[in-house]
Amino acid sequence: MRIVMKFGGTSVADAERIGHVAGIVRAAAGKHQVLTVVSAMDGITEQLLEVADAAASGNDLRTGELLTAIRDRHLACAYALGAHEHVRPLLEGLEAVVHGVLALEELTPRSTDAIAAFGERLSCAMLAHVLGATPMDGRQAGIVTDDHFTEADPLMDLSMFQVQEVLGPMMDKGQPVVVTGFVAANQHGVTSTLGRGGSDYTATILGSALKADEIWIYSDVDGLMTADPRVVPEARLLGALGFAEAVEMGKFGAKSMHPRALEPAAAYGVPVRMRSTFKPDHPGTLISSAPAPTATVVRAVPMLKGLAMLTVGGAAMVGRPGSASEVFASLARERINIHMICQSVSESGISLVVSQAQADRAKAALERTLRQHGLARTIDVRPGVCVVAPVGAAMKGTPGVAARIFTCIAGLGINVIAIAQGSSELSISIVVEGQSGPRAVAAIHKEFGLQGDQPQANV
Amino acid sequence: MGLGCARRALCRYSPGVRIVLIGFGVVGQALATMLHAQRQALERRLGAEARLVAVCDSRGCALAPAGLDAPTLLEAKAEKKSVGDIPGVGQRIDTMRVVLRTAADVVVQTSPSDLKHPRPALDHLLGAMRAGKHAVSVNKAPLAVAMPALLESARYNRVSLAYSGTVGAATPVLALAARLATGDTITGIRAIINGTTNFILSRMAECDEPFEAALAHAVKLGYAETDPSNDIDGIDTAMKLVILANHAGGVGKGCSYSDVSVQGIRGLPIERVREARARGKVIKLIASISERGLLVAPTEVDVDSPLNVPRNMNAVTFSMHNAGDVTLVGRGAGGAETATAIVRDLIEIGTR
Ligand SMILES: NC(=O)c1ccc[n+]([C@@H]2O[C@H](COP(=O)([O-])OP(=O)(O)OC[C@H]3O[C@@H](n4cnc5c(N)ncnc54)[C@H](OP(=O)(O)O)[C@@H]3O)[C@@H](O)[C@H]2O)c1
Repeated sequence: MRIVMKFGGTSVADAERIGHVAGIVRAAAGKHQVLTVVSAMDGITEQLLEVADAAASGNDLRTGELLTAIRDRHLACAYALGAHEHVRPLLEGLEAVVHGVLALEELTPRSTDAIAAFGERLSCAMLAHVLGATPMDGRQAGIVTDDHFTEADPLMDLSMFQVQEVLGPMMDKGQPVVVTGFVAANQHGVTSTLGRGGSDYTATILGSALKADEIWIYSDVDGLMTADPRVVPEARLLGALGFAEAVEMGKFGAKSMHPRALEPAAAYGVPVRMRSTFKPDHPGTLISSAPAPTATVVRAVPMLKGLAMLTVGGAAMVGRPGSASEVFASLARERINIHMICQSVSESGISLVVSQAQADRAKAALERTLRQHGLARTIDVRPGVCVVAPVGAAMKGTPGVAARIFTCIAGLGINVIAIAQGSSELSISIVVEGQSGPRAVAAIHKEFGLQGDQPQANV
Repeated sequence: MGLGCARRALCRYSPGVRIVLIGFGVVGQALATMLHAQRQALERRLGAEARLVAVCDSRGCALAPAGLDAPTLLEAKAEKKSVGDIPGVGQRIDTMRVVLRTAADVVVQTSPSDLKHPRPALDHLLGAMRAGKHAVSVNKAPLAVAMPALLESARYNRVSLAYSGTVGAATPVLALAARLATGDTITGIRAIINGTTNFILSRMAECDEPFEAALAHAVKLGYAETDPSNDIDGIDTAMKLVILANHAGGVGKGCSYSDVSVQGIRGLPIERVREARARGKVIKLIASISERGLLVAPTEVDVDSPLNVPRNMNAVTFSMHNAGDVTLVGRGAGGAETATAIVRDLIEIGTR
């Protein structure tokens, strides 16, 4: 088989773990054609962004402190692996860029990317050294993006062509290669980064271009679960899942994949397997275009906590074209992410779910718009809510699923604050009080028999 | 000169059409001759004066922002010199640098269609577009291997990529395909799009001549190159098929050369031609697109089929869902014919 393997930051957090990852890659390379993609060491991307900010604000002391921390951690790791010769020039390169920012006290998105990219370049150099592999950054691998630095979008057809051209022959020859995740370049060769979806996105782009048989995404968990095991102790591992279901689950929890990263794999029909570095023989969760049908209608019950609901009300909005767009535009200007939207046909109000941390800013932004346009009379904020979102491809076209969900929530005396269902019909989002969320999740999980049908997860 | 000027390609009021011409062989020279001899007529059609600001061959380039003199360029080539050796304007400079740095509106690619090495030509096209210049190619190789990527690059950089001369030369095969696909669905295509092989096959059938003799005759008349592999092994036909398939949309959209099953006519036994004739058929090198995929192979067609075209002619039959079959017949090669297609592309880019 042809396999693209991607290792996240916790999997390469120190020398010992890098050695462990190298063992996994070597074992796989004995049986398969393997390409490896690697993230920055755990926490390094955040530190790099912090150092960029510190330098931009002229804080030389903090800049120095952070650079030293980054240098010490990588050099300690590199010496342990014998890779210091490869790491030292990269660290010098990083320091040069950061000092440039410090001198100018100006940070462009372009220089942010130049700095952030060092995280992956460093981990890539170390893993490649241990494996005796060729290290490559995303640009060398052929991934080309637009000019939206820090959140760049690949020029997909061009990237696909170039990746095939560059990496195809290397894979055919069985030449070991390690590619930086997250890092790419625009068409002029200037370093960019992929933003949301990061290294997973790199892995699915490469896997799709190389027509891989599977893309293996390694992390520290076994795969995707029917629910958060801290909420539902009976939660089980999902053995197989469809792309559409995985996309619905993508918003919930750091352990799932960003929908953007699933896009190329879904488009090119390359299955993605989520698995654990700690249990290399465990099959994990296989996400594919046509998973085997299961007995359960609902496959998983993810939950999103720490949210607030804003309700914009007032008769002035009724039948007035553009009022919704005013509401959204004012939030977009404040860069507030809207998790969920509800509006009834009466149009007398719009409810929006945003993260708790952004609720006050959202309210202030909406009040300004309201005063300007006279759109609404009231803006209510309901803090401390959560969204429970049962997911399952079979929910579409199965009558009575919603009734079963609501009956079991109502049976516990839990008040449903709002409901939204997208036209995909693969999930229903239900807003409930924060403290009721876990009980609702557990009840739905039980109602649909999710503790029974999948193989036991050894969490 | 400099990168800053590149964006001017987008400017409507650009004082003239400034052309960088890559490749100065049969087609490139025909284009220069045409631009020179029909200056006034072309200026009316283009709405602006067309100027060759750079011309490159395999060894060097001639550069002149105010426009190069065509007779001087042609004279140098007649003396087997490189345009890079012309006193005053010639330079030994890498083509890619000229593509990126010259202040120009459009880059015209007429270097050889080399499927095994599409890279320099592909890089020239991508480089031109990322520098904000329009691109015209009669070189088939880059399109055959990376058409979706090239089209994406044109979209992203908001420039035009035109290649009407790659299939059928002046016979507007691609334009007809696009037009037909507008009002109906093209369900299949059968095409003779390589003149050399059609000449050889026609000769075999009409003069009952074996393959080798017919090939030698084609070389003698200048219909085939001294190394005819590209033609007789079906490579040229397959490259054109990929371009046609992507342009027509539908089944073939997004395909590339590796998706084509290719069989040429090298060593085709004369017996097969005779057997076919006995059944009222002729053998043609047919490129086809159908639900069975992209195919190039010697194929029997009825003697009275519109695809049974003589000599080095090309013919393409489009099968339409509603409108039935439409066949276009015309010459598919020649320096002046191909240069005409380039002029057509330049005019279209100007009016888009
Ligand atoms: N001829 C036709 O009827 C026809 C029809 C349709 C399409 N085409 C296509 O049009 C293209 C040109 O055909 P042609 O008959 O004119 O070929 P040609 O006579 O062989 O001319 C090719 C020209 O390209 C130059 N060249 C080669 N590599 C180059 C490079 N890297 N940079 C710059 N220039 C380079 C050559 O330089 P030197 O002069 O130094 O050798 C020569 O001037 C081919 O791709 C062909 O497939 C031709």
